[in-house]
Formats: sequence, structure tokens, C-alpha cells
Amino acid sequence: MNSLLTSAVAGLSAGGAYAILGVCVVFTYRLVSVVKFTATALGAIGAFVMVIMTEMGYPLLPSVLVGILVGALASTAVGLITTIWFSGSSQSIKAAVTAALLVCIIAMGQRLTGGQQPRAFPDIVGGAGIQLAGVTITAASLVAIGFAVFLTVAAEQVLNRTRMGLQLRALSERPMAAELLGIPVRRLAIGVWAASGAMTSIALMLVAPLRSPDFGSLSLLVVPAFAAALIGSFKSFRAALVGGILIGVIEGLASVFVGLNQYRAAVPFLVILVVLLWSQRGAQWDEAR
Amino acid sequence: MNILETENLVIKRMGIPVVREVNLVASSGEISVLLGANGAGKTTLLEGISGIIPIASGSVELEGNDMVKVSAGKRALAGIAHVEQGRTIFGSMTTEENLKVALHPDASLEEIYELFPELLARKDVQSMMLSGGEQQMVVIGRALVGRPKVVLIDEMSAGLAPVVVNRLMKGVRRLADLGLAVVLVEQFANLALEIGDRAYVMRRGSFVYEGDCATLGNDPDQLHHLYLGDIGEAA
Ligand SMILES: Nc1ncnc2c1ncn2[C@@H]1O[C@H](COP(=O)(O)OP(=O)(O)OP(=O)(O)O)[C@@H](O)[C@H]1O
Ligand SMILES: [Mg+2]
Repeated sequence: MNSLLTSAVAGLSAGGAYAILGVCVVFTYRLVSVVKFTATALGAIGAFVMVIMTEMGYPLLPSVLVGILVGALASTAVGLITTIWFSGSSQSIKAAVTAALLVCIIAMGQRLTGGQQPRAFPDIVGGAGIQLAGVTITAASLVAIGFAVFLTVAAEQVLNRTRMGLQLRALSERPMAAELLGIPVRRLAIGVWAASGAMTSIALMLVAPLRSPDFGSLSLLVVPAFAAALIGSFKSFRAALVGGILIGVIEGLASVFVGLNQYRAAVPFLVILVVLLWSQRGAQWDEAR
Repeated sequence: MNILETENLVIKRMGIPVVREVNLVASSGEISVLLGANGAGKTTLLEGISGIIPIASGSVELEGNDMVKVSAGKRALAGIAHVEQGRTIFGSMTTEENLKVALHPDASLEEIYELFPELLARKDVQSMMLSGGEQQMVVIGRALVGRPKVVLIDEMSAGLAPVVVNRLMKGVRRLADLGLAVVLVEQFANLALEIGDRAYVMRRGSFVYEGDCATLGNDPDQLHHLYLGDIGEAA
């Protein structure tokens, strides 16, 4: 029993990171209507810039900041490609463009960062964590979950309470009407891409030390990110938050059972499958009536 | 005073000129009424003026400044407001949020509630739940709080009850009386001619009439003829 609890708690830090990633996916989908397959690969660029800088002997804090900045810039570049070259295209074409870009970024990233060989990611949150009911909750988990909660609350508050949030909602609902009102649509869209790039970079810096941190594996964290976002139908920040944490916890639990441990990585796929089947069931139900 | 002036304006759609050599003037304190049958090119003309679609040749000047190369967003900030056909509210937002989203620092929501008092009681209602007339008031109000110099209004009456149309027409007249230049595209020709000053009738991309509203309003036969052109003559 206690080992179950320990494993569940161990899943919290990955869960926190999935939650951050899921919230970022919801953010870009809601505001610029793009399903961003490149999300985590762009974050991986930021995270690897940070590692390479620390390996070169730069102190941690500047490396982290430069990594976040590079992640934001890379994301903005992808945003410009999809908004300028494919501005008139449908959502599915835009999604396909980001999927194609994902493959390119992974290939280049693998090459530039030394292939499958994991890098030594520094633990960017030091500290021992806290004891709860005899189980240790690591500082990394607390920071990841705290940051995920912060992002969720911040995203909701900005969208519902600020003028910029109103303008972002206007942009997402009717881009042309927003432009005709003189709302700075181009600048806001770039801001959304930059912000999501920065956030995913932070998420990957947090989650990398827990994984085999090669570029490809980190990029493929887009799967749990989408699973979390899907739980909230790509709309709800809160559902993505809870969903991300749950996926992490389920993964943690799966590690307890010898037979299941190897299949841990399949958990997000299963979640996607279950959510999709569930929503289909609703549609069929409606049709049947 | 002339606020908006187009000169020999040509706008193409898929390579075909849909607006041909059009000269339109809108002055402060006046309503320029733009009439014409379906497909005449009225919406295209407004979209060219506000920058939604590019201009093939000719000029669009706002207070003497050329706008042809200026983006739609910059034209809006310069003072051209466009109330598009089809009531383009932000449906997920409340009435008040729709009005606030592009509120100019010198403007206030009170002005809009004064112009359309019926919106005040509906200010916290999600705008997709409003009636068609109320939605039209919201999009007109939303354009006004950006402090424009000229407002282009495209078929605000479409699908609305006559009482509501009358109400909206009064509101638009009030805007002009407050000093704005208004370009009003309407299917309800008679109502528009009653409140308007300058009138234009468009047929197949060109203006076939330019004069004052009163003259045209008092001559239903001519109006009928202008609308229908050759077909009208044959009949
Ligand atoms: N998006 C488009 N692509 C190609 N052609 C178009 C497009 N929109 C309109 N047209 C064509 O341009 C011409 C002018 O259309 P426009 O919508 O400007 O007319 P309108 O006077 O506003 O008509 P209505 O009274 O029906 O609104 C029409 O022949 C129409 O078929
Ligand atoms: Mg039209």
C-alpha cells in the first residue's frame, strides 16, 4: 500500500510538467487556433540551450534565462511560419505544418545534441522537498505543480479580467473584426507564440532530469501534453491542469507493477484513446436520438 | 468638410473588376447613402476602403492622407470604422466586453448607452444571446468607441423588424448630427434616403447616380429605373 502511494507521489513531478505542457497547448489552441505539434520540441531547444551553457561553465541562472529566451524565439519563428505562409489555410493544414516541422526539429536537434546520448541535466530546483504521511514529495514536484497552477490561474485571469485578455479573445474569435477595430493582432499573436515557447521551455527544464533526456524523447512529450489538453477538450485550462497531473500519477502507479512497468510510456496514448472514445460515444448517443 | 474621398477607385475580385472607377465622398455631419441591387459591389467597395481587400488602382484618402498602402489595422486607428455585413459580434463576450475591447481612451461606454439606452439593461448578457437589433447596436457602438472619423455601415437592417430598423436609422442620423461622416449601405432604400444627405446608386461596379437623397427619395420611378437598369427599361 505504502509503495503504491510512494509511486503515485513519484509521478507528481512528471504530472506537474505534463500539466504545464497541457496548459500551454490549450493556450495556443484557444488563442491562435493552431494545434501545435512542435510545442515540446521547441521547449526542448530551450532546455538544451540551457544544458549546453551550463556544460560550458556558465552559471545556472543566466543559462536558464537564455534557454527560456531561445525557446520563446524558436516558438515565435514557428508561429510566423504558420501565420504568414499559411494564414489562409485550415486548422488541419496548420496542424500538419507543425507536425512536419516537428520531424525536422527532432532530426536537427538529435544531430546537434549528440543523438540518443543523454545529457547531464542540472536539477534546477534544489532542496529536499517535504515529508507527507511518510512519503517524500520532492521539491521538483512542488515547483512543477506550483508553476502549473500558477499558469492556469494566470491564463484565466488575464483572459477574463484584463484588456489584453479581451483583445486576445476577440482575436481568437474573429480575427478580421479584431483587426478592423485597430487591435494589434499581429503583435498579440506573436506574443502568444513567444509566451508558450517560454513556458514549455521551463516545463522541459523541470521534467528533463526525470527522463532519459535526449532531444527526441523530450520532443515526444508532446503526447502527454496533448493527452492533458484533450481532457479539457483543448479549451479548459483547469481540466488540462488536473489531467496532466493525473497522467503523471497513473504513470507512477504503473511503475509498481512489474508487468506494467515497461508499458508506462503508453499511459498517455491510453488516456487519449479513452477520451476520444468517450467523446465519440456522446456523438453516437446524440445521433441515435 | 470632406473626410473620406475615393478617386477612380478600382477593386478586383479574382482578377475581375467589381468596383470600377468609383468616386465617393463622405463629409462630417453627413450620411452618404449607397444603394444598389444584390451583387452591385457595395460590400466590395466598403472592404476596399477599410483595407480588407487590396485596391487595384485609384485612391482612398482620409482627410487628405492616402490610405491605399496602409494596413486595415492602421486605417482603423487612423479613423476608418467598418461595421461589416452580418453583425460580427464577439459572441462569447458580454455586451459591455464587446464595447470595451477597443475602447479609445477619450471615449466612454456611457455615450453608447445614451445612444442606445436599450443596451444598458443588457450589458452583462453574453452577446450571442442578444436579439438581432441589439447585436447590431453592439457592433455599431463598438465601432464608435474607437473614436472614428468616418463609419462605414453595411446592411445593418438585414433581417430586422421595421420598428427596429427605424430605431437604428434614428441612431445613425444622430451620429451624423454629432459630427461623424457616415457611409450607409442599405437595402431599405426609402428609409435610408429619408435620413441621408448624399445618395449614390451603384450598378455592376459603377455609380449610375450621384445626387442628394431628397431628390431621389421624391422620384420613385427614377430610383426603380436606376436599380434595375436595362431590365427595368424592358419592363
Ligand atoms: N469573396 C468573393 N470572391 C469572389 N467574388 C466575390 C466575392 N464576394 C463577392 N464577389 C462578387 O463581387 C460582386 C460584388 O459583390 P458584393 O458583395 O460587393 O455586392 P453587394 O453590392 O454588397 O451585394 P449584396 O447586396 O448582396 O450584399 C458580385 O458579383 C459577387 O459575386
Ligand atoms: Mg453586400
